[in-house]
Amino acid sequence: MTGFAIQRLLQAIAVMLVMSAIVFLGVYAIGDPMELLIPPEAPQDIRREIVARFGLDRPLWVQYLTFLGNVVQGDFGRSFIYNMPVLDLILGRLPATLELTLAAVLGATLIGVPLGIYAGYRPDRAGARIVMALSILGFSVPTFWVGLILILTFAVSLGWLPAGGRGATVELLGTQWSFLTANGLSHLLLPALNLALFKLAMMIRLARAGTREIMLTDTVQFARAAGLAETTILRHHVLKLIAIPIVTVFGLELGSTLAFAVVTETIFSWPGLGKLIIDSITNLDRPVMVAYLILVALLFVTINLVVDILYAALDPRVRRGRTA
Amino acid sequence: MRFKALSTVAAAALAAVLGAGAVAQTLTVGVRGGPESLDPHYSALGTHADAAKHIFDTLVWSGDDLQIEPGLAESWRPLDDTTWEFKLRQGVKFHDGSDFTAEDVKFSIERIPVVTGPTTLLIYVRRVKEVVIVDPHTVHIKTDGPAATLPNDFVRLFIVSHQAAKDFSTKETAAEGFNSGKAAIGTGPFKLVSWEPKGDLVLERFDAYWRGPAHWQRVVRKEMPNDSARLAALKAGQVDLVNYVSSADWLSLRNDARIETFLANSVYVMNLQLDQREPTPRVYDLAGNPLAKNPLRDPRVREAFDLAIDRQVMVDVVLEGLGRPANQIMPAGFFGSNPRLPERQHDPKRARALLAEAGYPDGFKIDLFCTADRLPGDAAICQGLGQMFAQAGIQANVNAITRTVYFPAQAKGEYSVFMNGWGTLTGEASYTLGSLAHTKDETLKLGAFNRIAYSNPEVDALLQAAIKEIDDTKRRALFEDAMALIMADRALVPIVNLQTVWAAAKGKLKMTPRVDEDTLAYFIRPAG
Amino acid sequence: MSGGASPLATFWGNFVENRVAVVALAVVVAILVLAVAAPLIAPQDPYDLAGLSLLDARRGPGHVGAGGYVHWLGTDAQGRDLVSAILYGLRISVQMGLLAGMFALIIGASLGITAAYLGGRLESLVMRVVDLQLSFPAILLALVLAALLGQGKGQLIAALVAAQYAYFARTAYGAATAERRKDYIEAAAATPLSGRRIVFRHLLPNCMPPLIVVATVQIANAIALEATLSFLGLGLPVTEPSLGMLISNGFPYMMSGRYWISVYPGIALVVLIVAINLVGDQIRDQINPRLRR
Repeated sequence: MTGFAIQRLLQAIAVMLVMSAIVFLGVYAIGDPMELLIPPEAPQDIRREIVARFGLDRPLWVQYLTFLGNVVQGDFGRSFIYNMPVLDLILGRLPATLELTLAAVLGATLIGVPLGIYAGYRPDRAGARIVMALSILGFSVPTFWVGLILILTFAVSLGWLPAGGRGATVELLGTQWSFLTANGLSHLLLPALNLALFKLAMMIRLARAGTREIMLTDTVQFARAAGLAETTILRHHVLKLIAIPIVTVFGLELGSTLAFAVVTETIFSWPGLGKLIIDSITNLDRPVMVAYLILVALLFVTINLVVDILYAALDPRVRRGRTA
Repeated sequence: MRFKALSTVAAAALAAVLGAGAVAQTLTVGVRGGPESLDPHYSALGTHADAAKHIFDTLVWSGDDLQIEPGLAESWRPLDDTTWEFKLRQGVKFHDGSDFTAEDVKFSIERIPVVTGPTTLLIYVRRVKEVVIVDPHTVHIKTDGPAATLPNDFVRLFIVSHQAAKDFSTKETAAEGFNSGKAAIGTGPFKLVSWEPKGDLVLERFDAYWRGPAHWQRVVRKEMPNDSARLAALKAGQVDLVNYVSSADWLSLRNDARIETFLANSVYVMNLQLDQREPTPRVYDLAGNPLAKNPLRDPRVREAFDLAIDRQVMVDVVLEGLGRPANQIMPAGFFGSNPRLPERQHDPKRARALLAEAGYPDGFKIDLFCTADRLPGDAAICQGLGQMFAQAGIQANVNAITRTVYFPAQAKGEYSVFMNGWGTLTGEASYTLGSLAHTKDETLKLGAFNRIAYSNPEVDALLQAAIKEIDDTKRRALFEDAMALIMADRALVPIVNLQTVWAAAKGKLKMTPRVDEDTLAYFIRPAG
Repeated sequence: MSGGASPLATFWGNFVENRVAVVALAVVVAILVLAVAAPLIAPQDPYDLAGLSLLDARRGPGHVGAGGYVHWLGTDAQGRDLVSAILYGLRISVQMGLLAGMFALIIGASLGITAAYLGGRLESLVMRVVDLQLSFPAILLALVLAALLGQGKGQLIAALVAAQYAYFARTAYGAATAERRKDYIEAAAATPLSGRRIVFRHLLPNCMPPLIVVATVQIANAIALEATLSFLGLGLPVTEPSLGMLISNGFPYMMSGRYWISVYPGIALVVLIVAINLVGDQIRDQINPRLRR
């Protein structure tokens, strides 16, 4: 078992090395940031000096090795734009994205599951059909388009909610959160709704499918025959049984929503990670791009590693099969 | 060239008049871009300087129309060809109560080369060889040659406190020291309260400001990059003032009774650049084969490009009124722009005739390049050019692309016909003509942004003479003559001078919009 | 399944029972026809700059422009007729969706089936890469690739394919492994029957139904992704406006009441994607009722 874990760990490190090289090369290929950042009127000698100062005059492989050496010591470099350590910049943005993501996924679950159960419980009612039609719409309509329509309706036409930004924040557990103030909450509402719609559609479908299957099982038939109230059946049998897949999906979706937030954050100028990566792409802020991508890769590789090792611990066949 | 310290007197009088009425008010401004660091020496970006001017002062001040005025320096004069004397203002205090002296000037000038980032401020101090402190309020600046425009360069010389900043003046410590507020001690009208990157910059009035205390007790600058969102915030009353109203919104705002707008010419002029290299890439015959000879070297062809452009339609339709037709590559009225140049004509028939004369009766094909995400209207103007060229017989394949692709490729000389905006940030001609129109010359450090290999020996001679000329009147005349020659050559074809609009809640404030697009809270007054 | 009818006829028979799906299919077909015939039916070639007039810019629906015909949906900031722009935009969107979907299908299915058939080290390597990528959000991958490869149709398709092939690989692999474990394939593999025969006669046909389901979903996704990337400024160049680009270009005019530039292309995009998804839903329900999400 230990041997297997070590082998997997080595594999993961190899994957990360390859990923870091790909990311570094790829970001290098996008364009020369200095052409964008150095003021146009700067004469050649100043240009050369600046390029040398940021080490961009050295061969690519030297730049990569230097970068790698620094990363091993936990130094991802400094943003060209902000002159701040990239890691600080990224960690500073994380709470905003986490807050938005949590709000969206929680909201989607709390609204989507009851709707889905209803649609599965009474599939032939008009209400159920409307719910399903909505879920298809939620699946199909591109996030950015919904975002635009939300801004147009609630911010521009009605003027009820702000069109973008994060609003007032309050410190809790060492970080700033906006959901605790009325102003912050009003800023959070539209982007969270925007981000939630796709997840909502997914939760509705999941809950509906689960409910329909369970409603046809003998347990429910028996419970009904025994004269149990329908609400009790729903609560005791249906909710309990569909809870497992929903919790699993909830966890998985939290991860993917983090990345999906890119679009929503851009449209609503939400100061999170997604906005940061888009801005760094448009400004060719290389250190930020590289660090962000490598960290995301690290996150996913780690998750995969943990899952693999857990599976192997639970099921010895996997171990044998994969080491063969 | 001696300035009297009139503005101090004026400021004191103003403060006396308004002092009693300077009530505790908050000004909330929605800005498109904020500072990227609170270290004023890190970046030369306009938005950066805009924010920095609230906390710090510059040695030389640039006024609403970029004319240079006394700032922390009360007066200056050249002592000889390579020495400038700056007399510093007395009695100026930093936010921590310490006095402003020559030591701070020397420290600030010498700090820039150490801490400045890629958007470098080096260009503003590159002529300085040595800073000599004569007495606490006099410095002598030795330059590496005659530097007539040194005072113009110093409008971007922010003065930091040498005491507060001395431990935060390496590449590694600068951002931390200033962003935390420890080193962000200036002589400016406001003290730093807090700042978050991409978030709010919160400022508080500095009562001992040398121009007199500001009208606003508190100033909050909220960074809102999205034009629509920023305007929506104004309409919803979340902010009092926004900058960069888009041309799309400007017309409808003028009919909005709750909103007041302020319009200013900007420093930006869009120009078309025609490559003079032989051969040049991306110019084709009608069948799409590269042309053996560069047609853009023919003055008749260049004139045809010029005549094809309908500048009035560009302004009225493409920019919806938010601009002015340009007849030179600098805004009218700037030092060195030529007031005697005629308006440009639109005459597609004549353009066709000229093309025929030059041997292209059916025209030719070009790839036209421009940015799509740098300045307001850039992509739209570029596509408009494509339409106008088509009517004159030049088939343009328009490529409005992201600046991250455009600038690196343009620097490598991959384009032959391209359009980009140029801002005369210092308000005078040496900056613009020296970079764009002089032959590219590494030893003279001129023509840095001349990417079309434009070269006219007469222009070069005029520009070199002008840069060394200390006498203002003579220098102005030299620049004006150079401008006339450059415009006649038409390798650089001016299109439009962009304009900038601010919008505020009606009755809230009075402001004089600035040409450099800064939104300086100190100079904004509460209405009534 | 009913007695004599061919499987396809049965399939169709079941399909028409769902009226919504039939309407959706009709919409998809209509859009396909419009997209293909766009150059013939559009009143204007929106990419031909010489044919545009700036004086017609941003006119509302019903404006009669320099061309002498009515702009039923108005014009955009360059004076483009929006009906034409939308037709051409649909054409680009459909083209990108189909091409990206097709390449992703071919590459993904080949990888998946090969991995399932050959097994061993290759199998574990390929499927590890695929799994890793599946856990990685497609939008992020497409975004980074689009930024990396630059603007243009080819680059964008490459980015979309790279972001989507893994879904096909996973699906094909799953179906192929299930089939491969069956006795008859094990038996066939033991005989001198060629590997190609096994793959093409047995594995591939069995993988097709789930792949078709994935394909409809992914084509819709590719269209939405392309629109999103174009909206973020990382997709197609402004001079070749896809639907996403039209929406993006029109958005600044929303606040000043000139809604049509952005709203009509948006409606066209949404109708297209919803219709494809509805058809896809029905196909999935029929092919595998248990796959319902």
